[in-house]
Amino acid sequence: MDNQFAIETRDLKKTYKGKPHPTLDGFSLRIPYGSLFGLLAPNGAGKTTAINIICGLRHYDSGDIFIDGHDVSDGMQHVKPLLGLVPQDIALFPSLTAYENLKIFGGLYGLGKKLLEERIDQLLELFDLSASRNSYINRFSGGMKRRVNVIAGMLHVPKILILDEPTVGVDAQSRRLILEKLTDINKAGTTILFISHYLEEAEQLCNRVAFMDNGAIVCEGNPAELIAGKSECNCLESLYLLLTGKKMRDSQ
Amino acid sequence: MRKFRFLLYKDYLLLKRDVAGMLLMFLMPAILVVLMALLQDSSYRSLTESSVPLLLVNRDQGELGEAIDKQIEASHIFQIDRKVNEAIPTLEELEQEVASGHYTLGIYIPENTTESIRKNVARYVLAAFSGTMEKPSPDMVNFVIFIDPTTKVSFYTALMSTLKERTQKIEFEYVLNEISRQVNEFSPIPVSTEGFSTEQVHIDIRDARLEGRDLNPNPVQHNVPSWTLFAIFFIVISLSGSIIRERQDGSFSRMMTMPCSYTEYLLSKAVVFTMVSLIQFVLMLLIGVYLMPLFGMESLNLGTSPAALILLALSAAVAAIGYGIAIGNIANTIHQSIFGAISVVIMAAIGGAWIPTAVMTESLRNLSRISPIYWGLSGFMDVFMLNAGVMAVLKECGVMLLFGLVCFAVAVTFNYRRRMDV
Repeated sequence: MDNQFAIETRDLKKTYKGKPHPTLDGFSLRIPYGSLFGLLAPNGAGKTTAINIICGLRHYDSGDIFIDGHDVSDGMQHVKPLLGLVPQDIALFPSLTAYENLKIFGGLYGLGKKLLEERIDQLLELFDLSASRNSYINRFSGGMKRRVNVIAGMLHVPKILILDEPTVGVDAQSRRLILEKLTDINKAGTTILFISHYLEEAEQLCNRVAFMDNGAIVCEGNPAELIAGKSECNCLESLYLLLTGKKMRDSQ
Repeated sequence: MRKFRFLLYKDYLLLKRDVAGMLLMFLMPAILVVLMALLQDSSYRSLTESSVPLLLVNRDQGELGEAIDKQIEASHIFQIDRKVNEAIPTLEELEQEVASGHYTLGIYIPENTTESIRKNVARYVLAAFSGTMEKPSPDMVNFVIFIDPTTKVSFYTALMSTLKERTQKIEFEYVLNEISRQVNEFSPIPVSTEGFSTEQVHIDIRDARLEGRDLNPNPVQHNVPSWTLFAIFFIVISLSGSIIRERQDGSFSRMMTMPCSYTEYLLSKAVVFTMVSLIQFVLMLLIGVYLMPLFGMESLNLGTSPAALILLALSAAVAAIGYGIAIGNIANTIHQSIFGAISVVIMAAIGGAWIPTAVMTESLRNLSRISPIYWGLSGFMDVFMLNAGVMAVLKECGVMLLFGLVCFAVAVTFNYRRRMDV
């Protein structure tokens, strides 16, 4: 059977130790190859847990996960090189330069010396950071750190790129640049799973979205088709509020 | 292997940029070893060299006073003055000089001491030879000794013991001479006590060692291994700090999504910090051998087995790295990891790094065995003092390696359970 999905999860369940309620409760998601897929959810809905499980950072209680057709329960060794993760935190070494950070992360993905140098130069140029190549991360602005954070996840040109709120806390210029480059990368063939609280951003960027609430997917489809399907909604945000409610959802 | 090289590169760079950590690991122990050895050396010298100021007033015009004077001078413990402002002080002036802190000790030998002793001995000997049961009443001879009240009890006791020993020796010789003189008055055959030794029992104190080299422990030989081990264990702060920081800033999670394993991640840190430990070790030995003599102290004797030293240093590094990794994995924050630093200080204290375990109580001596620093110190002392080889320090190395491996296993298990939430 031909595999159609870059990422497929089936009925994932996860309850953290000491927590009475499951964080993931029947989480099923199918992300087609080549899509720029937005996963939208209120705080505490379980999206970071879902991402961590997909990336092999956490155990899950039950369910199935397939990445590029590989069953992750067989081990992550074949899956890890396919994935690129841009975490929500600025996951960089602050006392090292941008170049040193990228050299280390690229090296850990197994890139050869020449190719690694080329990719670093290319991506720093693409994200307008060439002039700051040898500056220390702890002297960067928030927007510059975010851009290096994104570059570190895509140095090895992953088949699947997962970005957890990559534009949080950055100025409009940096946000525009990041989103523009993500669109280019997606057009070049990389499947992107994009997690964001900015619904307008997702509506503009993604060709598919899924709404998640209480540890499960509640709605999935093309943004325009989803909005059209609900006469009372005129944008992704109104649909999101309709599906997840207006009650505050701070993490419990 | 190529990926592992990048982990090594990362840990090397992070360490290089951690200026505070570098100072803590290299400069602090270097300063401590020199300072502590100097402090202990000066205390050691104050007891063994002519540096205790003594005002000796000998008002006896006889042989006993003169003999005591000579004996005290020959002991090389005291810096002796006999006059103040060109005059022999009175008893009151002597007390005043010691009370005002000019002298640690004041000794007053009263007038006619020799004559009184001689008369006393003569009475005893005469009584003994006449067969009378009555004990003669001796003339009391009172030496007066003034002591600076700030002098430590242990120091005072040692001085008193030395003085008592010297005066008793002289008294004994005096008794022998008097007996000889009295006997010669009655006996037709001349009796002589000349050549009688007052030291019939000789106590031969020797260093227990494997080969017959003349070695005595000194502050350098105690402090260099002590602070070397302390330095090696102080890598716990940098190591655990780097693990916690990487976990907090998310770079650890990022690396775990990359094609590198947790084992490789830890191994890289272990390799880099082993290098740090070995550099610390060599640096401290160089200080002991070359720098200490520049401060007037003895040079560190390295023993005869470099292999045993390297094995001990590596074992100590494994113990320290295992402990650092355990602290880094168990502590949630940098603040919590301060426990690591405090526990190293405690381990050093009970392990005998500051005060030798030999002077501890039995219960503390037993407790010291739980500290890996005790085993490290024991091994180093065996190599430095007893010329021990590899075989002789295997037990010490084994205990330290076991400690490190247990810590490592605890760290891995704890990390897996917490990170993966299983």
